[in-house]
Amino acid sequence: MKKILVIDDDQFFPKTLEATLPKDRYELISAENGEIGLEKLKSEKPDLIILDLMMPKLDGTAFLKRLQEDKDLPKVPILVSSNLSSVKKISDVMSMGVVGYVIKSDESLQSIVQDIDRVLGEESAEKE
Amino acid sequence: MDIALPSGVVMSLILAPILLVLVVFILYFYFSLRKRGKEIIKERAEATRRIYELAILKELGERVGYSLDVEEILQIITGSLKQFIDYTAVGYVVITPEKVKVNTHIEQSVSHVFLKEMKEKMIASLSALTDQTFDESKLDEAVSGAIVIDEIEQGIGSLFNIPLVISGKVVGVLTVAHIKKGLYKEDDMTILYKITGQASEAVTRLHEVVKIEKGKLNAMVESMQDGVLMIDTEYRVVVANPAIKKIIKFEVDKDINIFDFIDILGGKFDIHGRLEESLVNKKTFVSERIEIDDSFFEIGVYPVIHSMPDGKSQMHGAVVVFNDVTKDVELERVREEFTGMIVHELRSPLDGIKKIIESVVAGKVDKNSGQFDEYVKLIYQGSSSMLELVNDILDLSKLQAGKFEVNKEPSNIREVIENRVSFYKISADVKKVGLESYLDSSLPESANFDPQTVKQILNNFLSNSLKFTSINGSILVSVFVYDPKSHFPEGFDRSRMPVFPEEKDIKVKVPSLCIVVSDTGIGIPAGSIKDLFHTFKQAKLSPTDGENKGTGLGLVIAKGITEAHGGTIGLVSKEGSGTSFFFTIPL
Repeated sequence: MKKILVIDDDQFFPKTLEATLPKDRYELISAENGEIGLEKLKSEKPDLIILDLMMPKLDGTAFLKRLQEDKDLPKVPILVSSNLSSVKKISDVMSMGVVGYVIKSDESLQSIVQDIDRVLGEESAEKE
Repeated sequence: MDIALPSGVVMSLILAPILLVLVVFILYFYFSLRKRGKEIIKERAEATRRIYELAILKELGERVGYSLDVEEILQIITGSLKQFIDYTAVGYVVITPEKVKVNTHIEQSVSHVFLKEMKEKMIASLSALTDQTFDESKLDEAVSGAIVIDEIEQGIGSLFNIPLVISGKVVGVLTVAHIKKGLYKEDDMTILYKITGQASEAVTRLHEVVKIEKGKLNAMVESMQDGVLMIDTEYRVVVANPAIKKIIKFEVDKDINIFDFIDILGGKFDIHGRLEESLVNKKTFVSERIEIDDSFFEIGVYPVIHSMPDGKSQMHGAVVVFNDVTKDVELERVREEFTGMIVHELRSPLDGIKKIIESVVAGKVDKNSGQFDEYVKLIYQGSSSMLELVNDILDLSKLQAGKFEVNKEPSNIREVIENRVSFYKISADVKKVGLESYLDSSLPESANFDPQTVKQILNNFLSNSLKFTSINGSILVSVFVYDPKSHFPEGFDRSRMPVFPEEKDIKVKVPSLCIVVSDTGIGIPAGSIKDLFHTFKQAKLSPTDGENKGTGLGLVIAKGITEAHGGTIGLVSKEGSGTSFFFTIPL
């Protein structure tokens, strides 16, 4: 059972994703902004973070910066999912050490689940 | 006794005095005639000289024309001198911006010694007149005319100097020299004085005109915001205005040359290459955006060609103009950000709805479950927020195009306020936030405004207050008549809310309806208040402005509506205490 932390202020996304994710393999925890995300990262120790960018309080980019600066925070693969589609934004975020960037509206829930499978599958393969 | 004298003696005694008188008369007439003859000759010579003088002055006038070149004028004068003054050599020395030019024309062969002496006398004269010393190495000498023969031992017999004065300043000396001694009389000098004087005057007048015109042009170029640089065909800087020096971070008071530009612009802009292209091929060039110290410029290079009346043209140099487009770039960036934000705000709910439907279609949701009801609610919220945004964008575009219309009609402000307060009361109760209204007794039964658009402002203010006020907080809508003379109505209690506008905040010129929505919310940081009513700047704020996000377009629209009513809009806020948004409608 893998834990996925979804940090997103959008109410639709975590709910619909949870409905789509196979419940036997994944557990979903959600946080509505970066600050709560940081707390849950420490307390829940997820296996993957799905991070939105445009969020109140601590936005996605600031969240990534925090992770880079604070070495004590657990290292977790991060998949960015946002509706921002500017090329500059994507390349900026990709350079901050994330495993992937998903433009939410361009992908179906199924394909996002496949991305999650791929990332977590790879991770576990590396560890073994 | 009678003494008899011979009659001849008597006659001669009588004639002698007569003869004497006659001789004296003849002599007198002779001498006076001779004197008159001399005078006539002198007058004739004078007349001839006058004619010469006039002829030369006329010729000079024609040849000098509108020339501003002092050297050219001196050349014309020396060239015409032969007609009325005899000389062995004639020369001039003139101060030009680069050097001191000494030019001598030899009419009859002389020795080097003669020439050297003449040059020394010219320089000495110029030194004395200008109170300057001239370094031998800076002299630019030229000798023309007859050949120099050192065997001729005659030195300078006669010599005189005439200064050339332009705008009250001695700029050169004209020198006439002869091997014979005592040759030049005052008359010769006078005529030359007159000639040079006339030329000086003409040039001085032209200089004045040019100076005034140049002054106007300089003032214009100096005051220009764009950087302007002009060079001549030799790449010398003719004009470099303060703006261009500031752009390249060069001291404004210092003289600048083309190498400074080449050094400072470095790899950013090939100024030398572009100028060369402009001078040689007469080509105009406008660069792409070039970034210099966080500012953006479009650099234009243009040849300066003067077209003559005869159809020929002369190349004078080239002009480089640095056009500051930083503001355009900034505006473009903000617009892009704004568009990006709008797209994001529309895409998120649309995508959410799509994903819900995807889940439903995939059969993951039981249509009879509580989850399904929740999804339907989410779809409703998402579509409502999108509709709101689309309406806001529509209003905004109308405002920007100046086509936003308000239908002012006699309306009752009490009704409008009560309607909105009761509408928001439900949401306030859910959030456990108090919502009340205070309608002052000063309010008239009817005022002229558009109730629909005023409701729109209230919707915006109230929904904002609800968003930012947490549980157990309170919101108060106060409505009263504000008079610029007597200010708040008598007995009005401003202290009901922690943050409320003061006299200085409400800027009205006539008695107006004043509607204030106050809350005990989180407040707005002082730095962000300024931008709240501006369209594009607000775009940056939205993602971080608290627990709830928004596009901020509502406030911009509220400002537009208020202004369409001739009223004012504003806010006061204190972080941690609360905020009061207010608007006025003139009565």
